[in-house]
Amino acid sequence: MNPTYLKTEIVRTFRSTRFVLFAIAFPVLMFLLQTNVFAVSDANFAGVIMVNMMAFGTFSAAMTSGAKLAIERSTGWQRQLRLTPLTGTGYLGGKALSAMLVALPSLLVVPLVGVLFQGVHLDASGWSRLVLGIWLGAIPLVLLGLLLGQFGTPDSMQPMNMIVMMGMGFLGGLWIPIDGMPSWMSDLAQITPTYWLIQLVRPVVTDHLPVSFPAALGVLAAWTAVLGALVIRRYRKDSARV
Amino acid sequence: MREQDITAGAAVRLSGLRKHYGDVHAVDGLDLTIAPGEVVALLGPNGAGKSTTVDMILGLTKPDAGTVTVFGREPGDAVGDGMIGAMLQGGALVEDLTVAETVGMVAALHREPMPVREALRRAGVEDLGNRRSTKLSGGQKQRVRFAVALVSDPDLLVLDEPTAAMDVGTRREFWKSMYEYTNSGRTVLFATHYLEEAEEFADRVVLMRSGRIVADGSVAQVRALAGGRTVRAAVPASAEPVIAGLPAVTGFEFRGDRVAISSSDSDATLRALMTRVPEAHDIEISAVGLEGAFLSLTTENAEEAVR
Repeated sequence: MNPTYLKTEIVRTFRSTRFVLFAIAFPVLMFLLQTNVFAVSDANFAGVIMVNMMAFGTFSAAMTSGAKLAIERSTGWQRQLRLTPLTGTGYLGGKALSAMLVALPSLLVVPLVGVLFQGVHLDASGWSRLVLGIWLGAIPLVLLGLLLGQFGTPDSMQPMNMIVMMGMGFLGGLWIPIDGMPSWMSDLAQITPTYWLIQLVRPVVTDHLPVSFPAALGVLAAWTAVLGALVIRRYRKDSARV
Repeated sequence: MREQDITAGAAVRLSGLRKHYGDVHAVDGLDLTIAPGEVVALLGPNGAGKSTTVDMILGLTKPDAGTVTVFGREPGDAVGDGMIGAMLQGGALVEDLTVAETVGMVAALHREPMPVREALRRAGVEDLGNRRSTKLSGGQKQRVRFAVALVSDPDLLVLDEPTAAMDVGTRREFWKSMYEYTNSGRTVLFATHYLEEAEEFADRVVLMRSGRIVADGSVAQVRALAGGRTVRAAVPASAEPVIAGLPAVTGFEFRGDRVAISSSDSDATLRALMTRVPEAHDIEISAVGLEGAFLSLTTENAEEAVR
């Protein structure tokens, strides 16, 4: 991995107002808003919403990073980089890793707000399972972002990401906690990777509607394998074409 | 020099190169050898196959048939070693980065880059280092892209329509910074459809049409080929077969009772015309404009190449 390339990708991302808004400010505001609207007195429920917003921030970071791919394809920057020793793996790997790294602020700021303002209390192992779980569990979402970025154009990217984020956010239980879903909806929720991402760490904050850890891990691993294969396949096809 | 010596020492060697997209033969059997230190202009109208050829030299596109070597190596390997720098057609810069960051990142990807400051200086953009790419003019952007192409300190520089969308002044500025580089003995291949650029900056001109080379030679040679004249005269329509058989005729067209004859040697054509078609009158001879000659060379039957 080329460190300068990675660093540059991260610097670029933080310069984007859109990114700061959607991947950092928005999850924090939504966290505060939702806990107040639902008049949460239960720290457990605040924890559920906190998990949701951490996952949402990570999801936003993943999708924003993927959208860069669409821009670089259309402007020819990707072709320019193919004229350097940077390999396709290095290129995609750098994009994926930078997406993971720029997800960290929301993974740290949202819990901080939870501790300071919402009375969320967890022990060290709870926090580490929560943060690490969402962080690593978001790998399939990062891959999804890269995949969409390889199909989209700069114009279609925004609506496409919006639909995917709203759809998976809503259905996967990021917007309304799965606890509040009718049963048909929570059944349907299981087709989204976001549902499994939340289920991976929910036991830390609530014992309501638990899913076994191996099951959540297994489903996310399967998503990772499938999306990873699709990303590579698409990149190969795409670079053979242009 | 024997053939293999030329191949071994060649900066670029294309042989039997073909590439088609569906039914379109973008590149249709191309043979070309470029010696180290040559500055070659690849000329041709849109759709002549210039960009496809460039992409194959850069290893961005795989040929259907034929081979490409750059300094005797596969394009991919040459790119990996930073031997090729390129300005691609219509390429843009990264929006959220400054000029120095952009060039710096590309430099960091190469194993033995030149200092970023040096690349910026050579491209004439050293005072724009802190400028975001969104705040650059069109000409400035092109020069930054030139810096991106230069920063690996390549032996071969490939420029695909580097001055497209530049105004005349910016174009001159661009070529001025180009000059310094070519003077250091590097090999340059640039695709363009500005004839003046080819005349002014290239040692050699390769003219492409429909995926093939229609003319290849020094600027002077191709200019001679392109610098034909037109002989116009009023002649009876019955003279048509005679006119077709006149020496040095490259084409002719009747318009009413007048004929316009394109000729590569107007003296010879005129002498023969006077002898064989004595009734010809109101004769005019005009030099074909470079632009027009280029057009005729790349659109009509101009198969014979200067070699």
